Amino acid sequence: MSALLGVSMRSQRRAVIGWAIGLAAVATMYAAFYPSIKESASQLEGYLQNMPDAFRNLVGTDYTSPAGYLRAELFALLGPILFLVYAVGAGGRSIAGEEEARSLDLLLSTPLTRTQVVRDKALALLAAMTGLAAFLFVVVVVVGRPFGLTVPVQDAAAACAMMLLLGLAFASLALAVGCATGRKAWAYGVTGVIAVATYVLNVLAPSVAALAWTRPLSPFRWYLEPDPLTTGLHPANVAVLLGITVVCMAVAVVTFRRRDLAA
Amino acid sequence: MGRDQGIVTHDRVVGEVIVAQRLTKSYGASRGIVELTFAVRAGEVFGFLGPNGAGKSTTIRTLLDFIRPTDGSVSVFGMDPRTDAPAIHARTGYMPGEFGLYERMHARAYLEAFAAFRDGNGRAQIDPLAERLSLDLDRPIHDLSHGNRQKVGMVQAFMHEPELLVLDEPTQGLDPLVQQTFYALIDETRARGGTVFLSSHILPEVERVCDRVGIIREGRLLTVDDVGDLKAKALRSVIFHFDKPVDASVFAPLPSVVSAEGRGDAVAITVQGELDEVVKEAARHTVINVETREPSLEEIFLRAYRDGGDP
Repeated sequence: MSALLGVSMRSQRRAVIGWAIGLAAVATMYAAFYPSIKESASQLEGYLQNMPDAFRNLVGTDYTSPAGYLRAELFALLGPILFLVYAVGAGGRSIAGEEEARSLDLLLSTPLTRTQVVRDKALALLAAMTGLAAFLFVVVVVVGRPFGLTVPVQDAAAACAMMLLLGLAFASLALAVGCATGRKAWAYGVTGVIAVATYVLNVLAPSVAALAWTRPLSPFRWYLEPDPLTTGLHPANVAVLLGITVVCMAVAVVTFRRRDLAA
Repeated sequence: MGRDQGIVTHDRVVGEVIVAQRLTKSYGASRGIVELTFAVRAGEVFGFLGPNGAGKSTTIRTLLDFIRPTDGSVSVFGMDPRTDAPAIHARTGYMPGEFGLYERMHARAYLEAFAAFRDGNGRAQIDPLAERLSLDLDRPIHDLSHGNRQKVGMVQAFMHEPELLVLDEPTQGLDPLVQQTFYALIDETRARGGTVFLSSHILPEVERVCDRVGIIREGRLLTVDDVGDLKAKALRSVIFHFDKPVDASVFAPLPSVVSAEGRGDAVAITVQGELDEVVKEAARHTVINVETREPSLEEIFLRAYRDGGDP
């Protein structure tokens, strides 16, 4: 392992622990609610029948089954939000944050190349987010059990893997914008707007004919459809999210190598 | 060009370590640098003197490939920073006046990481340098004072005993004692054959440590000269107070006098170079008092500026 990768991973250690605690707390809270949700299953299903299409697209149609409940409460909204906030924050800080803090000059005055710096920062992000996703998987499997919230282990793993891939796509987008501009605000802003817009499109597109064509443009569609919690991994979905990551990383390296660093 | 540019013989660089040819970096109308041509010779301490905003950092940042020239070229050790930055950086130490560190790391871990970025070079010097500077390595960086942070920057710049030191206003915020250690480290670098490129806006600092100096103002290099010559050629002002009014025009014909002006019983004279003739002329009258001032940086600039850069 390179020295810079070690330094970069260590710099994320505290944040990763904090986010892991947060994810565990959220997952535990929802798991604890599950038994009472299950008791009132028939009322809730009736209630959902009367909700708008967009809402049902998001939540799914079997809210009270373990997989449906996990999807609605954890994997469709809150989980990705928490995961993406971390991903975008860490991605934006990687290069642009160091540049704004003026620590990048000293780093690049060593024999390390700009490409090596981006590579090791990206690998540190990958390690941190893989750790978070793996931890989430363990929490979902272990904490769900006493509350009867059980899904097949391979499906829980598939859902966590897809969340990791979604997070990597947005982390690398934030990294790329930070590499191209040197500004954290741009990295957060551009990535945040794209995340919110593509999320909303993914929710609205199935029920708004005029927007139907936009759905394949949303990373969230590839993250959640078909539902990994019930259908496992799909090569095409994995490929799209990995492809976004690869393209963003290429843009990050090329733009960062080309431009002047901020003084 | 046809000149010897940083050729390595017996592990020592001879010739010129830094060569800038019409080096230009344009940002907008007023900033940047314009057609800088200069060379820094192996083994010398070269001062780069100019007021804030003159283009010193811009020049330095092109040497390190942090920014790329708009026009012209620069070479370091005969290599192009654009394509050979890692090879140049391996032989170079850099310290800017303002920089960020990794706040959560301990100073020792930070410096050990930087030694690792240099394939371990400099690791052995961390402790001795920290001791010389009275830097406590076993504290987190966010606990360190500004002065102690500067010391961390100094250690990372000097620890691998680089052939070239690039120092951009490095003494900003150093306390006087540390400043002396800093100057001693520069002297030691020169003594072992290293080359130093030091930017500063403080004339006494440049006088103290540099062999030659380039003066930059508004992005243009006004002059490059030996420090001693520059000072000898600089303007200084002398005011003689006499017991009665003296005709100022008696001083005007002296070659070293730039201007002479009567002010009541006093005569204010601007002199370039030696004072000898002026003092001898003044001594023909009854001198009550003499005021003299070392030339300020501004006055040296003024002089270099007025003559279009070739005093």
